[in-house]
Amino acid sequence: MRTHAPLLGALAIALALVFTVPAAAHHSGAGFNSDKVIELTGTIKEFQFTNPHTWIQLIVEDEKGAKVEWSLEWGAPNQLGRQGIRPSTFPPGAKVTMRLRPMLNGAPAGAFVGAKFPDGKTVGRWE
Amino acid sequence: MRTLSMALALILVLAASPGFGQDRPPALRSFETLPDWSGAWAMVGGTVFDRATQTGEGGAVSKGVRSHPPYNAEWEAIYRSHLDRRDKNLFPDTISNCGVPAGFPRHFNLPDPYEFVVRPEQTWVLTENGPNVLRIYTDGRKHLADQWETYTGDSVGQWEGDTLVFTTVALKGYRDKDVILDRTGLVLSDKSRATTRIRKTDATTIEVQMTVEDPKALTKPWVVTKQFRKMPAGTRLYDYGCAENNRNPADVESGKTLVLGPDGKPLNK
Repeated sequence: MRTHAPLLGALAIALALVFTVPAAAHHSGAGFNSDKVIELTGTIKEFQFTNPHTWIQLIVEDEKGAKVEWSLEWGAPNQLGRQGIRPSTFPPGAKVTMRLRPMLNGAPAGAFVGAKFPDGKTVGRWE
Repeated sequence: MRTLSMALALILVLAASPGFGQDRPPALRSFETLPDWSGAWAMVGGTVFDRATQTGEGGAVSKGVRSHPPYNAEWEAIYRSHLDRRDKNLFPDTISNCGVPAGFPRHFNLPDPYEFVVRPEQTWVLTENGPNVLRIYTDGRKHLADQWETYTGDSVGQWEGDTLVFTTVALKGYRDKDVILDRTGLVLSDKSRATTRIRKTDATTIEVQMTVEDPKALTKPWVVTKQFRKMPAGTRLYDYGCAENNRNPADVESGKTLVLGPDGKPLNK
């Protein structure tokens, strides 16, 4: 896992508003660290394209080689669908690198920021 | 004599007719004369009525712009207690964010698209989020004298030119502690009622002005205006079901937002 806190801090702040507009109407986003963005590389297990929010399940190997399932929360499927996102956007089995705002308590979950596939294709915010 | 008998007979026939001597329902407007509010619409601005209460990152987008209800001391204290919980990232209530109608006036304070369906006898305001339906009867009916209170209440009204004017009554408000008007925990009582005016101010804007009266909670009428911007032509609306896969339920005991892992167990309890 590589951490890019200084580089991505400003991005996180900018994205906080983007993310919390749809999310905050439904629940508090206080469990996520709005000041930190981390990168994870792993294999997509499942893209839950469901209400009220979508979730990406990502299998990541930790430092000891153990497989850990991460949960990345994203926007509402209706909003994402209107922006061109589909259930097939994150196909199971695909390798991908993801950026997320992790949970404050260190649990394997966070708010999705962006993703980049090995072929260079990006989803979400990846500037 | 024959003429007099015929006149008496005519009076008797009219007197026996339904509606004679009573208020007649107004003639319904034809479709062609009603305004065109078709398409999908999105509320302008955030979903917090009183933006001056917003704190933290991503907070007030229009600092100082307040839609703070003119509460009396008792209800201001209730609202302040909710703001205190909000500042601790705890929901004022754990029910209204998933599973019950948004209610009035929160119906006009939701994210996601709206539809305003205008018919001669009714207008429906449909919200994808929820989903919620507000029915506004314009067929001349009156509020029921013994109407029981609900989340959305009972709305009847009439057209004044191209402005739809209606009253909403029988709102349960915060009586059962499951209706808040936004995530700051703004509330009204079960004595609240409103007069609302909806009109299209230009080709891409619908304005909803609500004058809320609440003798139990407010010291004077609370006037709130919400605007809705037309979305691109062809915009589709979809299912919204909070219970489908809610991995962020509010903890019933604490009000804390939980994050559920793939096994359904909280990651942050």
